[in-house]
Amino acid sequence: MSRDDLLTGGHRDAAPPDVDLDRVWLGVAERVWRRRPGPVERAAGRLLRSPGLARALVTTPSLLLGWVIASAVILLAGVGMTLGTGAPWVALLAPVVAASGIAYAYGPGVDPAWELSQSMAVTDRMVLLVRALAVFGLNAAFGLAASAASGAAAAVTFGWLVPMTAVCALALAAATVTRSANVGVAAGAAGWVIAILAGQAVGGRYIAAVTDSALVLPYLAFAACCGVVTFVATRIPRGTR
Amino acid sequence: MNVELTELTRKFGRTRAVAGVNLEAGPGVFGLLGPNGAGKTSLLRMMATVLPPTSGTMRLLGRDPGSYGPRREIRRRLGYLPQTLGYYPGFTVAEFVEYFALLKDMPPRQVPRAVAAAIEHVGLGDRARAKLRTLSGGMLRRAGIAQAIVNEPELLLLDEPTAGLDPEQRVAFRALLRDFGQWATVVVSTHLVEDVGAACAEVALMDAGRIVFHGTPADLIAEGEGRGAAGDAPLERGYSAALAAARSAAAA
Amino acid sequence: MDDDELIAAVARRDDVALRELFQRHAPWLAGRLRGVLPAAEVEDVLQETFLAVWRGAGGYRPGSAGGWLWGIARRQAALWLRRRGPAELLLPALAADGQDHGDPAEAALSRAELARAVSALGPEGGAARETWRLMYVEDKPVAEVAELMGVSAGTVKSRAHRARRLMRAALRHRAPARQGGGR
Repeated sequence: MSRDDLLTGGHRDAAPPDVDLDRVWLGVAERVWRRRPGPVERAAGRLLRSPGLARALVTTPSLLLGWVIASAVILLAGVGMTLGTGAPWVALLAPVVAASGIAYAYGPGVDPAWELSQSMAVTDRMVLLVRALAVFGLNAAFGLAASAASGAAAAVTFGWLVPMTAVCALALAAATVTRSANVGVAAGAAGWVIAILAGQAVGGRYIAAVTDSALVLPYLAFAACCGVVTFVATRIPRGTR
Repeated sequence: MNVELTELTRKFGRTRAVAGVNLEAGPGVFGLLGPNGAGKTSLLRMMATVLPPTSGTMRLLGRDPGSYGPRREIRRRLGYLPQTLGYYPGFTVAEFVEYFALLKDMPPRQVPRAVAAAIEHVGLGDRARAKLRTLSGGMLRRAGIAQAIVNEPELLLLDEPTAGLDPEQRVAFRALLRDFGQWATVVVSTHLVEDVGAACAEVALMDAGRIVFHGTPADLIAEGEGRGAAGDAPLERGYSAALAAARSAAAA
Repeated sequence: MDDDELIAAVARRDDVALRELFQRHAPWLAGRLRGVLPAAEVEDVLQETFLAVWRGAGGYRPGSAGGWLWGIARRQAALWLRRRGPAELLLPALAADGQDHGDPAEAALSRAELARAVSALGPEGGAARETWRLMYVEDKPVAEVAELMGVSAGTVKSRAHRARRLMRAALRHRAPARQGGGR
């Protein structure tokens, strides 16, 4: 007889019938499998008053570490180029970087479980809004830091925020309507290139797209239109589609 | 009554995917049968508040999903498994189920226990912390079922839930259906006729957007008796007979 | 995987190993605890036991997994009993047995453990058990036991030695914090 046999009486006793072992295991599994949210997620949960929305936010594809680092690297390269050539590369790059982040934040092109997400109490539209704002805010902060670091003039440092808003809105609308994040990025990039070239063609300086203050209102109006398009594309239509 | 549908219609362009469905369902397991293109998935998507109806009225869990507030309330009490469910490959099974539990507004304190229970209920207890990308098709389907049941829904909508499950798992799944059917309305859309017979108290057969048969599995079997209908099993024969009868009536 | 490997896996945060360990050992642990506690408390104590296993698997030295597990369960049961107070001790067998543990919780557990160790000696009336009873419970000298059992003194001594060995093995893996004299 082994020592264990002495303890178990030489056989595996069956559990007493009035003890629910499944329930016991669930109590163990619950603690072992539980995920503890990090500080960012907890803070977001309190701020947004929704733990689900906070979780959706911290799982944004374009807020993952790899993406964030890539964005930072691109903007740093922009700083380098600006310091080297004097051309405001940061102002030119930042809107496109932000637009691609926005296009990859959420939406049918990015979320493989999109159909399921549309049946959730925390709506896909809320998730989209929160993620887009977070990505925009992060990119804006990066861009401002990079712009200041590259010693650009104040007009340029802040001037690109408005075009960036417009380009991001375009990318978001395109991504949502076509259900493809890639189309969103392409649309945002293309739109920005067109704006720069138009600025050059009209004013002779490609930086006009960024610095011309007369363009502020058109940019914002355009952004608002794209916002409406996104809103319409994500709402639940009443039999009109 | 958890589900009350009146003349529910859904058009895509000029096609009528769902053409005037009338249905009432209380607690119990309800099977939805029909060939491909019959409108089962569109009907289920409407009940899941994912697709809005073109016309007709729908009351789910005593509420009208047309307005935001009631719709949110319905969704908190809803479980839905779409026909094709995408997965986040980097998530573990537990993270996946937990994600949707949170999106269904479950109170965070209740979530870990509910997630553990759902995972064990579908037999994925030894895969709870495995990444979804390492799972087979049948296991992924079961993970999908787990997220559908995690919030103990009063309305559980399952579109082809047994795809990829082996016979033993299908038996376990039917037991799950019966468990939930005791106090929730479970609607199972499938083209596996034997799943319906074993678990469902009521069956509806859809064809071309309409419900062409509504009754118990025994009634469906009776449809097929003595008519020389195609099929290897009584339920299959009933299915073929009811379908044939409906089509000839429509043609007439 | 055998028990030692499972526990080593649990120490590496393998929850599947913990689940396997639970499936193997929870039934008999529940049975043992049921001898001391009411059913609902057995569930709570068993849950705490396996959570303690999850946390403390790193401290396991390969050997007797069953003993180690029972040691943890015992500790958790004693903790629970202490928290609830003497009123919760339902076992009628909790009457003083001449050993002052100073702790009713420990007493209840010791009693259950002792009963099991004694049963390891074999059936009542059997040689080992009878020897033990006469020599250690009734405190009779070797010569008198030999006469009563109709065997030589040498046989009595070797039977007593075997009985002590069996009981020592059965009681070996108890909680290190246990008070009380040696057995």
